[in-house]
Amino acid sequence: MKRRDALRSLALITGGLVLVPSCDFSKEDILAAYKNLQITPSLKQLLAGIADTIIPPGNIKGAADLSVQDFILVMVNDCVDENGQQAFMKGLQAFEGFSKKTSGKNFSKLTKEEKENLILSGLSTEEENEKDIRSFLETTKRFTIQGFMLSEYIQTEVKPYSLIPGDYKGEVLIADIKTERING
Amino acid sequence: MANLNIDAVKERTFQAIVIGSGMSGSWAAKELCEHGVKTLVIERGRNVKHIKDYPTTNMLPYEFEHRGQIPLEVQKENPIVSRCYAFREDAAHFFVKDKEHPYVQEKPFDWIRGYQVGGKSLLWARQVQRWSDFDFEGPARDGFAVDWPIRYKDIAPWYSHVEKFAGVSGNKDGLPHLPDGEFLPGFPLNVVEKYFQYQLKKHYGDSRHMILARCAHITGNLDYYAQQGRAKCQSRNLCQRGCPFGGYFSANASTLPWAEKTGNMTLRTNAVVHSIIYDEAKGKATGVRIVDTQSKEMEEYFADVIFVNGSALNTNLILLNSTSYRFPNGLGNDNGLLGKYVAFHNYRAGISAEYHGHLEYTTQGGRPTSGYFPRFRNVFKQETDFLRGYAAGFSAYRGTYADQSGIGMELKENLLNPDKYGPWGISSHMMGETIPKESNYVALDPNQKDEWGIPLLRINVEYDDNDEKMVKDYLEQMTEMFEKAGFTNIKTRDDRRAPGLDIHEMGGVRMGRDPKTSLLNANHQLHAVPNVYVTDGASMTSTATQNPSLTYMAFAARAAHHAMKTFG
Repeated sequence: MKRRDALRSLALITGGLVLVPSCDFSKEDILAAYKNLQITPSLKQLLAGIADTIIPPGNIKGAADLSVQDFILVMVNDCVDENGQQAFMKGLQAFEGFSKKTSGKNFSKLTKEEKENLILSGLSTEEENEKDIRSFLETTKRFTIQGFMLSEYIQTEVKPYSLIPGDYKGEVLIADIKTERING
Repeated sequence: MANLNIDAVKERTFQAIVIGSGMSGSWAAKELCEHGVKTLVIERGRNVKHIKDYPTTNMLPYEFEHRGQIPLEVQKENPIVSRCYAFREDAAHFFVKDKEHPYVQEKPFDWIRGYQVGGKSLLWARQVQRWSDFDFEGPARDGFAVDWPIRYKDIAPWYSHVEKFAGVSGNKDGLPHLPDGEFLPGFPLNVVEKYFQYQLKKHYGDSRHMILARCAHITGNLDYYAQQGRAKCQSRNLCQRGCPFGGYFSANASTLPWAEKTGNMTLRTNAVVHSIIYDEAKGKATGVRIVDTQSKEMEEYFADVIFVNGSALNTNLILLNSTSYRFPNGLGNDNGLLGKYVAFHNYRAGISAEYHGHLEYTTQGGRPTSGYFPRFRNVFKQETDFLRGYAAGFSAYRGTYADQSGIGMELKENLLNPDKYGPWGISSHMMGETIPKESNYVALDPNQKDEWGIPLLRINVEYDDNDEKMVKDYLEQMTEMFEKAGFTNIKTRDDRRAPGLDIHEMGGVRMGRDPKTSLLNANHQLHAVPNVYVTDGASMTSTATQNPSLTYMAFAARAAHHAMKTFG
């Protein structure tokens, strides 16, 4: 009995001690938030890399700069049905295998161009055994776009959202509209 | 009530009680309080104070965890309310969740409810089209329901009264079947909507019209509305969150604060009305029993006059549950018709198309309304093999989009510079009049009760052949008009939605001339209990095609003045 109590105390103490630094790394705590998904830190990192390939950094921040991967996981966890979640997880888990098979390397070892080609081929694959890859990438692309465009950064610093968009004009000549181009 | 004493009764006694604080109840309260009547307003939900209790009103898109979308788990728990277009992350807190307030669907009926101060007046689509005598004379002419005991001339001054205070923007269109009102400047129709107007004129002469829909938004006379603490509509199009400007009419922004300012209004929230108390000896209603939602204790309040404005179906429920020796089947229900002749609006069908003209134009900014097709079927005489007709929404829209086909820097640049224009999009949805029938009814469940001990409502409402024919006709006629206007890629749909999702449920306590065939007289008094007034959707004898809220408001104001004259 005493041994068991001692072990429990030790677990509590070390658990307590371990919790402090783990908060800094934001690892296990955050991953537990996606209760419908089995997301490991490395899978999340991979997802960030894929999102950042879909919308890369440049003059304007990219997807990973804005932690779009967090948004993708929240949306898949909360707003995608069970079939969609399973396809997403299968595709995410199989993605490194797909990368190796298609490009001969892990995703993170690829050049920017190779990463883009890999994702484009995954998005357009007709292979039956790659349908989860395709579904996963389609979902990821959709939420990457949504998470990026509706991020605080884009909505305040790049294209400020207006709560008061102004009076309705029903007859505006397109030729008269002048907008400055935003270089990505 | 064992410790009942004279003081307690005094504290619980008012000159008038209004059940319900929404669209119609708040109007009754405003009129009564403004004229010195000590009024208790009873609301089953929580208080929602203008501005202070609009938690999402100034939130930015990224502040919504799911960017507006309702999580799947919430949708699964609430399949009924999830079908409502406005049940989104920004306004979900103003809607009743299915499992919190169950009811029995004998037949599928999506009952959309807002239990809070202001009710659904926070959430409505703010369309305020007047009725005409083509509507009030409908049942008598076409032989259904019973004759309305009133005509347009009875209600016209009250429409004006309500429009002026609420603020209605629109154009004077001079149509006999959609009378003009007290209008503030209208929002503009856009270039393609005007083009369609012209096409209708060209192909149908003066028999079909598409006009700007009248909406309860302030667009002028700003000093007048400043007295209410309201300002001009800012075209934010975030109305369902509650408007901090009071730019559109809600009970919270307009009528309730006005009533409160008089010092004559007492607001009792979190109080579900159990029943109306009928005093056999006095031969009249003397008060209202409520159940406090927190303590579950029953309390009684007393007044000379009682207004029932609980929203159409809940008003039916309250009256059905108000039983006594004199009225064993519900208050005023001598003829057994209480709860029957419920009707609604048929919103099942819609149509969309493209237009490839006027491509050099677009629109800018926000507009809280759209175009409107007043009814054109069977208006002046019966022309088709179905009774009555339909109004319709109409809008043309154009915007930019971004090419999202690629990935990488190309995709990013496209997203940040959405400069591609497609063709104009055209859309319309039907708003059909349904025929009230005895077989469409609500009743109390004999066994099941809610957590406050009040019977659950059983709803028996469905479409009939007339509705099916009307859906078909709407789609055929709209297709024809769209084709004549040169619209392409026309797509029709019948989403076969359940009744109720139109959120225009009406009837059950209909007005009429004869106590044998109706529950209410021409002044909205129960025939058998004249100090009880019903002026919400429950009082409707027929439904017309117009959005009904304006008519409820006018009814409530008119009946309140009648009560003040009659009961001192």
